[in-house]
Amino acid sequence: MTTRLQRFALTLAALAATSFLSPSTYAEEGGEPLKGGTLVYLEQQAHTNLYPPAGGFYPNGGVLNQITDKLTYQNPKTLEIEPWIAESWTINDDATQYTFKIRPGVSFSDGTPLDAAAVAKNFDVFGLGNKALKQPVSEVINNYERSEVIDPLTVKFYFKKPSPGFLQGTSVIGSGLVSPSTLALPFEELGDATKIIGSGPFVVESETLGKELNLKAREDYSWGPAKLEHQGRAYLDGIKYIITGEDSVRIGALLAGQADFIRQVQAYDEAQVEAQDFQIYAPPTRGVNNSVVFRPDNPLVADLRVRQALLHGTDSKEIVSTLFSRNYPQATSIIASTALGYVDLSKKLAFDPDKSKKLLDEAGWTLGSSGLRQKDGKDLVLTAYESLPQPQNKETLQLVAQQWSKLGVKLNVLAGDSGSKTVDDLDPAKTPVSPAMVGRADPDVIKSQYYPKNRDVLRQKGGLSDKVQNFVDGDLNGLLEQLASEPNRDKRLAIAGEVQNYVVDQAYAIPLFEEPQAFAGAPYVKGVAFEAVGRPSFYSTWLDEH
Amino acid sequence: MTSRYLLGRVGQALLVLWAAFTVSFVLLQAMPGDAILIKFQNPDLGLTAQQIAEIRASYGAEGPLWLQYIHSIGNFLTGNFGYSVQAGVPVSASLAAHLPVTLKLAMLGFLLASIFAVAIAFLSSLAPFAWLRSAIQSIPSLFISVPTFWLGIMLIQIFSFRLKLVPVINPDPWQEFILPVITLAVPISAPLAQVLVRNIDEVLTRPFVAVARAKGATRNRVLWRHVAKNALLPTLTIAGVLFGELIAGAVVTETVFGLNGIGGLTERAVGSQDAAVLQAIVVLSAAAFVIINLIVDLVFPILDPRLRTNPGAAA
Repeated sequence: MTTRLQRFALTLAALAATSFLSPSTYAEEGGEPLKGGTLVYLEQQAHTNLYPPAGGFYPNGGVLNQITDKLTYQNPKTLEIEPWIAESWTINDDATQYTFKIRPGVSFSDGTPLDAAAVAKNFDVFGLGNKALKQPVSEVINNYERSEVIDPLTVKFYFKKPSPGFLQGTSVIGSGLVSPSTLALPFEELGDATKIIGSGPFVVESETLGKELNLKAREDYSWGPAKLEHQGRAYLDGIKYIITGEDSVRIGALLAGQADFIRQVQAYDEAQVEAQDFQIYAPPTRGVNNSVVFRPDNPLVADLRVRQALLHGTDSKEIVSTLFSRNYPQATSIIASTALGYVDLSKKLAFDPDKSKKLLDEAGWTLGSSGLRQKDGKDLVLTAYESLPQPQNKETLQLVAQQWSKLGVKLNVLAGDSGSKTVDDLDPAKTPVSPAMVGRADPDVIKSQYYPKNRDVLRQKGGLSDKVQNFVDGDLNGLLEQLASEPNRDKRLAIAGEVQNYVVDQAYAIPLFEEPQAFAGAPYVKGVAFEAVGRPSFYSTWLDEH
Repeated sequence: MTSRYLLGRVGQALLVLWAAFTVSFVLLQAMPGDAILIKFQNPDLGLTAQQIAEIRASYGAEGPLWLQYIHSIGNFLTGNFGYSVQAGVPVSASLAAHLPVTLKLAMLGFLLASIFAVAIAFLSSLAPFAWLRSAIQSIPSLFISVPTFWLGIMLIQIFSFRLKLVPVINPDPWQEFILPVITLAVPISAPLAQVLVRNIDEVLTRPFVAVARAKGATRNRVLWRHVAKNALLPTLTIAGVLFGELIAGAVVTETVFGLNGIGGLTERAVGSQDAAVLQAIVVLSAAAFVIINLIVDLVFPILDPRLRTNPGAAA
């Protein structure tokens, strides 16, 4: 299937859909929620493994968020941590001990009580992993040591070093609580949704692998987040997930009334959805912005001046206005403006091609006859692989390549589905440039992204890849370690600011835009909520008459 | 047909299966990266290099190649196809869930393709007016040039979204296959029709046709009673070969329509280099291919009396 033909077909299909459908009437928001009905939800991709720490993948998170509860609830508006399964908690001064009081009367859907012992079991696995069952450690839990069940409804966690991000870490999708019977299964069996037993407002009723997943409301559910207006069971009777890979089919089916809610709407499709009074939902992901990062281990981008030149030679405003919509704000730091600890660095990120050219000249890269910059007989040619989960990433990188070509720098953009990607991506010599983004509403997210033992986007020696020759940035790593272990909130946010400045000063990353998760819903779908990082919650969702 | 001939054919079939298994094993191993890497290097999991190395070791992905080969061929022979790394379920369960859809799609698609092909072939020699006949004769060229996924999307847009005749989301079991079967049948019918048209033309020039006409048979009678039988034989051979096309078409069709068959499974498995799944699909397809061609070869002598005395000529 060639992309060009596909694009052509999609365009035709989109035209067909827009021109032949009649607009529906727009129902006003509000009114008394109606009970009942099944929400038909079209997903772009099938879920993979539903081990809760693997919930970061959006199709997984979209399921786990309905069937699991979390110890705490992060208010998506204020980002404050509120009670959920934990009624209350205490944290010692250096954030090495956390004690949680568990709400009484909560049970998993297999009847097992959700008590202190179950919570302890969950975090022991998430914090330490289970080698025998191949269950990996969760990336949101740092410095975990052990748990202690104090009484049936009180659990205490100990950490080797301060772990200030842990409280927020208990509220994220990767910390969904599951029944001990689920945790007793080997990792590879957790791809079967029917085996994931949570305490959430919905339970898995049936699944056709790779095609369809049916959830039904749990009648006795009465332990939603304490401060939510809606309590008791979910309004919907059920949710039907149908995997629909083709963008045009999801949009067309929604507009034709065959589906109620869809995930992954490209910016170029937003207009036709809104033109028919359907709703676009674009919750922010509040994490590290959609960016291009460098691997300074590669000699071509080892020179700070080269990286700075490329940073100032990238026009993120043009990228947003050409490819995206108002739901994709231009980046003003390496993290989103809605993220915790954000500082505005737009001055340091200004588009200034003249400065770029000067910096490249200073670095010894002069324009050759081919129009490319050269130094010691080498051309300044860089390579990046497209990242498939990021919206229009290929187009984005191609536009960046166009902008850089004006400076005399060539960027080759390779397809994200090629077999060599995963291997080449570990080797800075092969991929000096890479797209990157990650969502999480805690400053720890910066560490997740840059720290060599986490995602290691800069590819440091001793990190994810053994192909790195010698690049290590001790200053950056030191700052990241402080960020993950500073117990004082104000000091921690100050460190977050320092890290942002440091990354931009070193021109390690070129932030492009704040990435939302884009969904679309029919006008009669009400009360859709999103967790802090843009995963839908259908607990309070209801279907108006239609 | 001797039993020795049969045994020989079955032996050949087993050899083909073994070769398919081995070649696909080598090719999958030769590709850079693998399913475990693709799955666990996923930044969303945030695993360290050491954790990934441990997981790799636990899957036995680090052993010597020949050991892995012996291991997996042994497993195959005992019916254990392993685990799908990406989906986290046994491959056999995955195949069992996906196979019926593809079988249904392929069979209905092939049936409709045959109907299209026969209709085109006979209309192209029966239709009045020379211009109409030549127009009908050019249909196969048109059919074969239409990209499957484009046809699928257009059918959805027009018949489902615009005319609202068949839903593609949540369809009844019988509605589910209408559009995909048409999508699949169109490109498959083209080579069938082309071969049939050419054979009819060729057979029409044979002396026995002239004899039949001279005896007073009508054009219709000659076509149905005398020509069709002879023209169908080479078409049958093509039909066996077309099975490969059918699988390829099913990949695209199932992806466009979100059908949960082997085609869609293949597409996902290729994307994630899920070797265990791909290996099983390759062997399964090879088996189907071998069986279909075997059936074609065995049916040939029944249809054509000239081949009955010398089975070797059927191969």
